[in-house]
Amino acid sequence: MGAIYALVALGFVTISRASQIINFAQGEFVMLGGVATFFLLNGVRLPYPLAALIAVMIVVLVGFAMYLSVLYPLRKASILILIMATLGISIFLSSTSGLIFGTLPKALPPFTDEQPLMFWGISMLPQSVWVLVSTLVLLTFLYLLSHRTLLGKAMEASSTDPLGADLLGISRSLMVFLAFGVSAGVGAFAGILITPIFFTSYNSGTLLGLKGFIAAVLGGWGKNSGAILGGFVLGIVESLSLAFIPSGYKDAVAFVILLLILYFRPKGILGSPFIDSRRW
Amino acid sequence: MSSQPAKGAQKEFRKRDLFYLVPLWVLSLIAPDPYLYHKKEFKRKDLYYLGAIGLAPLTWSDPHFHHVMVLAGIYAILALGLSLFMGYAGQISLGHAAFFGIGAYTTAILTTRHGFSPFVALWASVLSASAVAYLIGRPILKLKGYFLALATLGFGEIFLVMVRESTDLTGGVIGIFGIPWFSVAGFSFDTYLKQYYLIWGVVAGLFIFSKNLVRSKLGRALLAVAASEDAASSVGINVPRIKLEIFVLGAAFAGLAGSLFACIMSTANPETFGLGVTVPIVMMVILGGMGTIYGPVAGAILLTWLMDILSRYQEYSLPIYSIILILLLIFFPDGIGTRLNVRILYLIGYWAKKRKRDEGKL
Repeated sequence: MGAIYALVALGFVTISRASQIINFAQGEFVMLGGVATFFLLNGVRLPYPLAALIAVMIVVLVGFAMYLSVLYPLRKASILILIMATLGISIFLSSTSGLIFGTLPKALPPFTDEQPLMFWGISMLPQSVWVLVSTLVLLTFLYLLSHRTLLGKAMEASSTDPLGADLLGISRSLMVFLAFGVSAGVGAFAGILITPIFFTSYNSGTLLGLKGFIAAVLGGWGKNSGAILGGFVLGIVESLSLAFIPSGYKDAVAFVILLLILYFRPKGILGSPFIDSRRW
Repeated sequence: MSSQPAKGAQKEFRKRDLFYLVPLWVLSLIAPDPYLYHKKEFKRKDLYYLGAIGLAPLTWSDPHFHHVMVLAGIYAILALGLSLFMGYAGQISLGHAAFFGIGAYTTAILTTRHGFSPFVALWASVLSASAVAYLIGRPILKLKGYFLALATLGFGEIFLVMVRESTDLTGGVIGIFGIPWFSVAGFSFDTYLKQYYLIWGVVAGLFIFSKNLVRSKLGRALLAVAASEDAASSVGINVPRIKLEIFVLGAAFAGLAGSLFACIMSTANPETFGLGVTVPIVMMVILGGMGTIYGPVAGAILLTWLMDILSRYQEYSLPIYSIILILLLIFFPDGIGTRLNVRILYLIGYWAKKRKRDEGKL
């Protein structure tokens, strides 16, 4: 679970590194990834890897379309308008996918067999291993993208100093456009990874998105490493909390953590490049 | 540069100018003017609005119309409170539905379990919502922008989870049924028509209250806080206190609305207090125009009717609804009324220029 939160958080961070937008529809990318794979696998009867690949591509296209149709016209709008616009997109995506793919929860088969593996006396489902490994691979990929390529640096520049980026000839809207694609892709991938473990239904995206955002804030807003750390911490704390409080309250735990972290250390665990103490 | 109107511009009356002047004049009679409303406290326009609201249910005696307008009135109370917090103080709250819910549940529990009259329960709801807002507002209001939005959203989610899980107190997912009609001193508001006048009477009262509030010292301070918190605190405004006061006030409005809602629907269940309420009321404030008092009420009526019309389309209603919301946000980010006025000014400018151009050609 922590790895999923981490992946969702990564999606948030990717967009916020390229612009100041926080995409409340990030959770819907996750949901769409899972549901679209399910549809391609069972409806169109494609082989598993191909279905997953096409689902990721579909969601990336959705991300591109979302940026072009809604957020590009609103690029000069205020924070509140952006929040409401992304919330509106989130309602649109979830209700539309409920219409197209049906409202029943979906479950994908696991990638490999279901025989638990043993690591040093700890038994793990193969799917969990898949999730962990893929998260690591994606993390490495995103790290290389944002720190080792000109594209990643241009993305970061367009967020930290928009005017400077303009002066250097960086097309900011192109950067945000690409960031939306990357984050949609990461979200869809997370959705494909999670669907074999948990059921994905058309309305599960919102909560996942919010928790991913909490994870990003918890680890340190705007940092890839912070997003990963925050995701795992959130997942672990949530699982541990089951031992102390009734399971129904599980969803509230993340939000209590959020309120605490925002109050005591808004920078997050690792600190954040975007938040200096003065602004708080 | 003071541009004197050229002598040629003083033209005699031309009939074709009526083409845009008449609609403008009609519009100026009904549309609130965000730039001029401070000139006189209450204009004749307000009387028109009041008359329209008062006479509308007598003209359309359709119970469904009354019911939708009652809902619109409740949303208008919510949006008014939120508008003070968002439009005037420039903060963001996505957790207002929680105060709405607190008000509704306080009323529900007090009237069904403890046998209080709805009138007492109403005040208890207002008090409990304000108390919770005070407690939650102290830490939360330090935050700004996205993080304030997220924190309030988180508060709303926590409230929902608490309501769903504490089954003994709130009835869990099923909720509480059988809340009595609202009644004061033996007079029971048991038909839609009576409820209509009750709700819109409350809206009118709160409207006058808000209107006076924004003209008071507190209201001016709010505008200063919205413009710049640093500047506001440098002229001696206690920024955290002002923000807290207005947050609590908005929550009190929401608690009031929640209490009335519970009495009118006679049920309270958690489904009605989630993001499904937050998104519309925030949209009402945005669409009405930030920093106006007329706006949220107009937005509430508009959006409630939109939702009512769309609810006929069953499962297609949510996608259509969200598309309309997004389109409205793209084309009217400053609110429909505000943008309309700007458009009209632009139109006037366009026509004036065209006249000048025509004269130049002559």
